[in-house]
Amino acid sequence: MSLRLRVEPPGTAPFAHESQAASVVVGRSTQADLVVADSYLSRRHARLYLEPDGWYVEDLGSKNPTRVNGRPVAAPERLRPGDVIELASTRLVFEPAENAPPGLRIDSTVFRPASEILGLGEADLTARRATVEGLAGRLRLLNEVHRALAGPISLEELLELILERAFAVLHPEEGVILLRGPDGELRPAASRRVPGLTGEFLHSRRLAQEVTEKGLAALVSDASLDERFATAESFLSLGVRSLVAAPLLDAEGCLGMISLNSRAHLRRFSEADMELLVSLASAAALRIRNIALGEEAARRQLMERELALASEIQMGMLPRRFPERREFDLAATLKPAHSVGGDLYDVLLEGERLWLIVGDVSGKGVSAALFMAVARTLFRAVVPGAASLAAALGRMNRELARDNDRALFVTAFAGCLDLATGELAMANAGHNVPFLLRGDGSVGPLVAPKAMALGVEPEREYPTGSLRLAPGDRLLLYTDGVTEARDGKDQLFSEARLEATLRAAGEAGAEELVRICLAAVEAFAAGAPQSDDIALLALQYHGRG
Amino acid sequence: MQIREVELDDVLVVAPAGRVDSTSSTQLEQLLFDRLDGGSRRMIVDLAGIDYISSAGLRVLLWLAKRMQAEKGDLVLCGMGEPVRQVFELAGLLPLFAVEGTRDEALTRLGRKST
Repeated sequence: MSLRLRVEPPGTAPFAHESQAASVVVGRSTQADLVVADSYLSRRHARLYLEPDGWYVEDLGSKNPTRVNGRPVAAPERLRPGDVIELASTRLVFEPAENAPPGLRIDSTVFRPASEILGLGEADLTARRATVEGLAGRLRLLNEVHRALAGPISLEELLELILERAFAVLHPEEGVILLRGPDGELRPAASRRVPGLTGEFLHSRRLAQEVTEKGLAALVSDASLDERFATAESFLSLGVRSLVAAPLLDAEGCLGMISLNSRAHLRRFSEADMELLVSLASAAALRIRNIALGEEAARRQLMERELALASEIQMGMLPRRFPERREFDLAATLKPAHSVGGDLYDVLLEGERLWLIVGDVSGKGVSAALFMAVARTLFRAVVPGAASLAAALGRMNRELARDNDRALFVTAFAGCLDLATGELAMANAGHNVPFLLRGDGSVGPLVAPKAMALGVEPEREYPTGSLRLAPGDRLLLYTDGVTEARDGKDQLFSEARLEATLRAAGEAGAEELVRICLAAVEAFAAGAPQSDDIALLALQYHGRG
Repeated sequence: MQIREVELDDVLVVAPAGRVDSTSSTQLEQLLFDRLDGGSRRMIVDLAGIDYISSAGLRVLLWLAKRMQAEKGDLVLCGMGEPVRQVFELAGLLPLFAVEGTRDEALTRLGRKST
């Protein structure tokens, strides 16, 4: 079984690589079997090898971890045709399809499989969309669209909504949605343009084919440079410069496409714009199919898929591994009561500062889960370089409160620990008071100034208190799902029981504290169904002694 | 959860009873949404019959208060038991509401004679 790869090095033309060997080492070193000129590659970066059941890829301890379809390769991973292996700035496509577009990057034009964009890790997206406002805006857009799509909506309204939202965020000059008719022909179903633009609506048939038949998203930064449009003279003569397009794709196939044009030099679409349009198109596609079918079954399927997706996104956002430093130990857990919920925790190590947050979004279901996702993303965005905890929370609150028509809010306890001194700044935005467990065994409340929950009023201040932790001190942050857990007789677990549990825990470290508390709640509930999520986060400070 | 409604001239009194949790708050939200849509702009929410309110229930009342403010309407809460008050207070939301002790006091605040 020979190995076939399309190799896309940074900055130079892609090429094909075929090999009959059973093991191929890829790297920068001339000793490697496949040598790629990419200065970020390790000398021996990764190895592809043949097993009885197929080809595998393993990372060879490179500095920039190898990724497959956006996920880091921790253990050897079996490859499937079309898989994209990323080694630093180099991409390898495993067993590329025969009909793949020749050379994936043609000067100013980028084609990428829509399915690959939808499968991108959240980290990849955040890395690219750097600004807080941009990030929040994009998440809010998807949130709004999902919410609108959940209600009753006609096909016409749906298409209008998608175009309107796309215009608000991507600022094209014209946009069109093409839908495939029963005869298989693509026809414009909705269009929109900025005022003052006249003439015929423009779309390239060739591009439409590429997008709808191969499920590719397209980004054309300069149409005049792309030979695809050489014959589309009208297209160019009318001045279309930049274009971004995405297929309306669901699990069943392609329903059409959405395409946005810009005629001016002023607006050039970016890869981030393309990714956003793909997400928008995918959300729309599910619903278009649903409307077309008009069946209850399709509706239920959509709901289940959205819930499963939301749950996956949500759990994927919470850190499962924590930064490791000798100054502290951390542990946390989250048990959602429903498939999606609104609790969150996060931890961020920034130089000598360790940032913590535990929060609880009002309500349940998809809207709470999305709000939680926005809150958690904002936390990650506002913290780096923040002057103080108060400043970070003030900024997070302003972003959450903006356009928050449904009055969702999040209660949160947040802290910022100076690892060198043990100085802990902390703020309580309408959240349960955490516990402080001193090294000498005493247990008490972790009292910070009280403030309003986040997302309610934009101009609130979040005053902070401070406390010096001594080596051996521990903190337990939690959400009300812990203290309001119910047993079969409708009794609450209560703060008193939690405090007693902590007193009995003695000198338990972070991980053990979380385990003991969760076990106590579970033993108390004894299998009774819980209506609220349970989140716990424990920190033990060791100091530097 | 059960919801009783009484209309006293132009004031609508909504009195939910039981637990307002993530499930039942949807029912309350729907009713309040319908009444707002129907033109009610002076409202009292009597919480005397509530023995538990979750953050989801809090959100519904916060949403109502914001809508009322935007529509230049009036909203007064009353009958808040201690456990319910604590939930409002913990989230720091108490200052955002007009709160009275009894329904009669709430009616007086809205410029109506006690019943």
